[in-house]
Amino acid sequence: MSTASGVQERPGAQAIRSRSWIPSGQAVAGIIVILVTAALVAYPIYYLLQASLDVGEPDVRPPTAYGLDNYATLPRYSQIMLNTLYVSFAATVMALVFGFVTAWILNRTEVPFRRTLEQAMAVPYYVTPLLGALAWSLLGAPQSGLINQLWRALGGEGAIINIASPLGIAWVMALFEGSVAFVMIGAVMKSMDPALEEASQVMGAGRLRTMLRITLPLVTPGVLGAAIFVFAEMLGSFSAALVLGTPSRFYVITTAIYQLVAQYPPRIPLAAAMGVSLFAVMFVMLFIYRRIVARRSYVTVTGKAFRPRLADVGPLRWVLFAICATYVLLSVVLPMLTLIYASLQHLTAIVPSAANFTLDNFRSVLSQNAIRHAITNSLLLGVMTATIGVALTGLIAWLVHRSRIPGRGLLEYAAMFPQAVPRLVFAFGMMWAWLVFPVPIYGTLWVLLIAYVTVFLPLGLRTISSVLMQVDKSLEECGEVCGASWGYRMRTITMPLLRPGLLAAWMLLFIASVRELGASILLMGPHSQVLTPAIVEAWFTNSSERTAAMALIQTFVVGLAMAFFLIVTRRMARQGG
Amino acid sequence: MPSNAPAAHIEVEDLEIHYGPVAAVGPVSFSVQPGQQLTLLGPSGCGKTTTLRAIAGLERPSSGAIRIGGETMYSSARGINLPAERRGLSMVFQSYAIWPHMTVYDNVAYGLRVRRKSRAEVEEKVRRALDLVQMGQYADRHASQLSGGQQQRVALARACAFSPSVLLFDEPLSNLDAKLRGDMRIELRELQHRLGVTSLYVTHDLEEALAMSDRIVVMRAGKIEQIGPPDEIYNYPRTAFVADFVGSSNLIRGRLRPDLARDGLIALESEGGHIVHGVAHGRPAGAEPVLSVRTVHLRLVTGRPDGGGANGAANGAAGEEPVNVWPVTVRRSVFLGDLTELHVAWGGRELVVRCSGRADVGEGQPAFLSADPRHCVLLEAA
Amino acid sequence: MSKEHDPRQPGQGRLTRRTALHAGLAAATLPLAGLAARPARAQQQGRKVTTVHGFETAADIAKAEQEGTLLFYTHDSDSAGAAIMEAFTKDFPKIRPNYVRAQNGALYSKILAERSAGRTDVDVIQFSDIGTAIDFQKRGGYEKYESPQAQNYATGHLSNPAGYYFWSGITFAGIAYNTNQVKKENAPKGWKDLLDPRWKDAVSVKQATSGMQFVAWYELRRLYGDDYWKAFAKQQPHGFDSRAQLFDRLAKGDDKVCGLAEWAGYVLYQRREAPIAFVAPEDGLPAAPLATGVVDKAPHPEAARLFLDWLASERGQSVYQDNEYLLYGSVRKNAPPMPGGLKLADFKLLIPEDMDAYLASRKDFNSQWNNMLGLL
Repeated sequence: MSTASGVQERPGAQAIRSRSWIPSGQAVAGIIVILVTAALVAYPIYYLLQASLDVGEPDVRPPTAYGLDNYATLPRYSQIMLNTLYVSFAATVMALVFGFVTAWILNRTEVPFRRTLEQAMAVPYYVTPLLGALAWSLLGAPQSGLINQLWRALGGEGAIINIASPLGIAWVMALFEGSVAFVMIGAVMKSMDPALEEASQVMGAGRLRTMLRITLPLVTPGVLGAAIFVFAEMLGSFSAALVLGTPSRFYVITTAIYQLVAQYPPRIPLAAAMGVSLFAVMFVMLFIYRRIVARRSYVTVTGKAFRPRLADVGPLRWVLFAICATYVLLSVVLPMLTLIYASLQHLTAIVPSAANFTLDNFRSVLSQNAIRHAITNSLLLGVMTATIGVALTGLIAWLVHRSRIPGRGLLEYAAMFPQAVPRLVFAFGMMWAWLVFPVPIYGTLWVLLIAYVTVFLPLGLRTISSVLMQVDKSLEECGEVCGASWGYRMRTITMPLLRPGLLAAWMLLFIASVRELGASILLMGPHSQVLTPAIVEAWFTNSSERTAAMALIQTFVVGLAMAFFLIVTRRMARQGG
Repeated sequence: MPSNAPAAHIEVEDLEIHYGPVAAVGPVSFSVQPGQQLTLLGPSGCGKTTTLRAIAGLERPSSGAIRIGGETMYSSARGINLPAERRGLSMVFQSYAIWPHMTVYDNVAYGLRVRRKSRAEVEEKVRRALDLVQMGQYADRHASQLSGGQQQRVALARACAFSPSVLLFDEPLSNLDAKLRGDMRIELRELQHRLGVTSLYVTHDLEEALAMSDRIVVMRAGKIEQIGPPDEIYNYPRTAFVADFVGSSNLIRGRLRPDLARDGLIALESEGGHIVHGVAHGRPAGAEPVLSVRTVHLRLVTGRPDGGGANGAANGAAGEEPVNVWPVTVRRSVFLGDLTELHVAWGGRELVVRCSGRADVGEGQPAFLSADPRHCVLLEAA
Repeated sequence: MSKEHDPRQPGQGRLTRRTALHAGLAAATLPLAGLAARPARAQQQGRKVTTVHGFETAADIAKAEQEGTLLFYTHDSDSAGAAIMEAFTKDFPKIRPNYVRAQNGALYSKILAERSAGRTDVDVIQFSDIGTAIDFQKRGGYEKYESPQAQNYATGHLSNPAGYYFWSGITFAGIAYNTNQVKKENAPKGWKDLLDPRWKDAVSVKQATSGMQFVAWYELRRLYGDDYWKAFAKQQPHGFDSRAQLFDRLAKGDDKVCGLAEWAGYVLYQRREAPIAFVAPEDGLPAAPLATGVVDKAPHPEAARLFLDWLASERGQSVYQDNEYLLYGSVRKNAPPMPGGLKLADFKLLIPEDMDAYLASRKDFNSQWNNMLGLL
């Protein structure tokens, strides 16, 4: 028979060209991953939405009546919304300033000890905003804060800083999220061709003019993108507002949700409605962020990283060094010292009497079983989260960027979805979702594991994707042509090449899971105490000195574990070559 | 034509540039006459771009001096190091460095605006510069929408717009395809002549250097191998490196045979026993003399050439044995389109011959090889 | 410091009325689990009473040790919970108990949520609010267990009918202030003094989850009328979760006055030489009995019963009185004085009598209190 083009065809050709339904290894893995991801992400969201539409009897599940009443009452809490916007906005501005200034100094100028400072900039991320909030609460509480005590001892009146004010909360948030801004803005700077500035200089434009006319306009789109991302993160921020704001009756949406859930009687539907509205706002923000980044900003055309020429600033470089060092001081050194100082006293005073010093706090904390359990749980959970997370996001990344299976766009969307949901809100949905789950995992480490893996999908996916994209496709295609099956290629070509990236992602996930608060505080049970929420609980029920002791012990132990894993992963990355 | 600032004289004296403990360049010394183009030629990593950037003020040398138009731009002895924006130079970058957030017009006008020229003057000069590179109708186009070749022209226009006295070029044609490169080469040369501006040009492409330069500096590993006009570099290479980098060359080692020298030619006995006559070009023969013969200067014929034949062996009086004629066998023949490359067995080794079109001799066949002694050049002693 | 010596034993004089109320409530209970309707003696069948460590228990000790663990839900602080667990393990090394703490209200909603989902992890539960205990009893949350220790308690200090929970202690609160910031002549002497505008934004109380706070609210409203709390709201008080937080802030001067200063907390901080003074107002100190009982369908029933008996015995009660994180007053017959030499009878304690009205006012309390604290 002949086709329309007049070419003779073999009768069997039609049949062969029709789709073959024998699933390949790739397709099977793909389907499993898609289903798992969809389940992890959609299941809690469903319960969240359901709870927000519950207008029936409060304590009865499943809901007896559905309606929009909960949303209708939201305007009554407009003050909380305004608080959230104010604090988030102020924190974003501050974080951007910190991030921009330090990124500029460390990427563009010849500041002494650049390497050390660059590594030091990552430490505030490890320290966690919770510890920072605790320490700054000790430093800046209007009456008892050490700084204010010092101020008064020097003859001042009242309080020079009030860390419990909205700006104080924003300050703490910015100090610790500032390192995220630093990394993002640094990446923008690194992707700018230095020749663009050199051309301006050769044309005769001075440094200032070059910066204003050339550099700033070029980095602005990237910085704007970073700003939106940071703002979205601030909206969902929880620890600083919890520790500093709640005592003085200052609520933001996340702490309000927590309060509504933890109070008696709890108002779950209202909390769910608030959570959904926060989630909607974050969703819009991240959508805008994607658009800005996707619409090719001038700078990131090739995606290559450039090393810009470092400006020699002469004696000014010590000033710049001081600026960076100050940031590290305020976010890491000072809080740590404060916690140590407080933990050694009965009642923290700036100039303590000799009798005030004691090791009692440490003694009583160490005698509590809860500490040991919390630490081992956190470490175990960290290892499991990191391992499962890397495996899952590794597969997802490969399927999204390298495979040809249908629905991979949807897969990426689903995996990145948790980014738009504040972690506390997500955990809230999970709380209900897993409570009614037939398998009794509620209150155990398993539900925490599921929660962590889910909320960290975006983090893992982002990290591994960027590494994957740098691996040339042709390396895998060559294996394909050689006759290797998908599984074999993954094992022998892709994984080894990705190894350093996978190890870096592992480390990131481990750290993120140990420092997590929002997701775990609602899901923690008696047998699944974990670190950061345990410190929060301690703060609510103990003196601040004992809390400081507890925080220090836990941080120290976890720090050791982190250092250990860091060395191990570095060693493994290097061996892989 | 836009009136230019008087073309300036570039002087570089004992310039050394270090990256940490490694000496990337130096010491090097050279100068460029006003209105001339000097090209820094060499393989990647030889330090040519670093030297150019140091002259521009974008790299900081460790010692030496740089003077432009008589003014000291850099002097380690006197502690002077003028920043790039004050040197009054102009530069075309390898990546063009066109600012994507401005229009073509704004890109070209930048240097003029920095010099605070009036709106009218800016307009006039920008238009002229754009016409010079045939980009006049793109003036209002956004720079991020240009193709590679268009960006290159805009970079050129930008560099010329404010009539600089010195123009620096950092491999400006390396990102273009071969055809465009050939065309742009000619245009750049014409432009340079028309503007009469002093140019310092960096490239690794031999043809570019030969076609465009008044003088060439061949660099290797941070040091200068040879300075001279193109034909001297080509015909009388100083070292083995220059001989083989600038065109392809056969290097023949041997020992000097002063007893066979005649008519101002020197004679070398090759390792395989052949006698080769060549020119010393005023260079003393060292302990291990080497003659360089370009592949295109070797002739291959089927029959033995007589004296005075078309093969041009300069052999003085008729009846004397013609010099530089040897029987050879063709080992391999490679057809390269415009040329054919033949590898011949000669004196225990291979020589490479390039001749235009198809060769008369095929593989495995015997033939006669001859070379004009004027084209067999003695290299400088190592 | 002004305090009155009131020889009345808390609850004693109102025994009959309260018992009648309790009976009425019991009759009106919805038989969710049918437990309330069961005759009282059913659980007592075949229980042997043994003596261990000097106290009597009807629990099967061998079985309890086989169970090896129990889960105790309490409103108390972590340190308190840990102390109780430690003390119990010392007496019974083969049993390793665990505790979970949450403020009374949160604790209650937690256990209700779990039970509605069919989960039974808890063995023994302790509330700091009698109303909560009564409600839980109504829902059939407790197991009826007739402890041989019950004879050491007055009927009014047990559930009605007996066997569901008992009063494991009493906590009561007065006013406290920071002596560095408040001069003696300006210090509040009674509850009404807290309304003085000088204490605006400087007074702390507990949150609505606290059982103690509920009692205080109810009693002071009873004494002074609705307007009292309305005026108090104008003071913009700060609300906290735990006694430790209240005293921590008071000691550091972050708050000037504490409007719900538990005697137990005061004693602890006094030992630490904090600059705090305690005021026992003339009109009385609201007091919240702690109610502890074995939970229905407990996974470790024998251990639970053993624990309850231990708690009710002299051994457990001495821990409750003497441990610095507890320092509760014991209502056990012939209990020794509290640390410092004072007895409960030395204070004028206010405990809600009209249980109906008390329970019914819970909703009002929650919304009013949450609103007052700038909450929701």
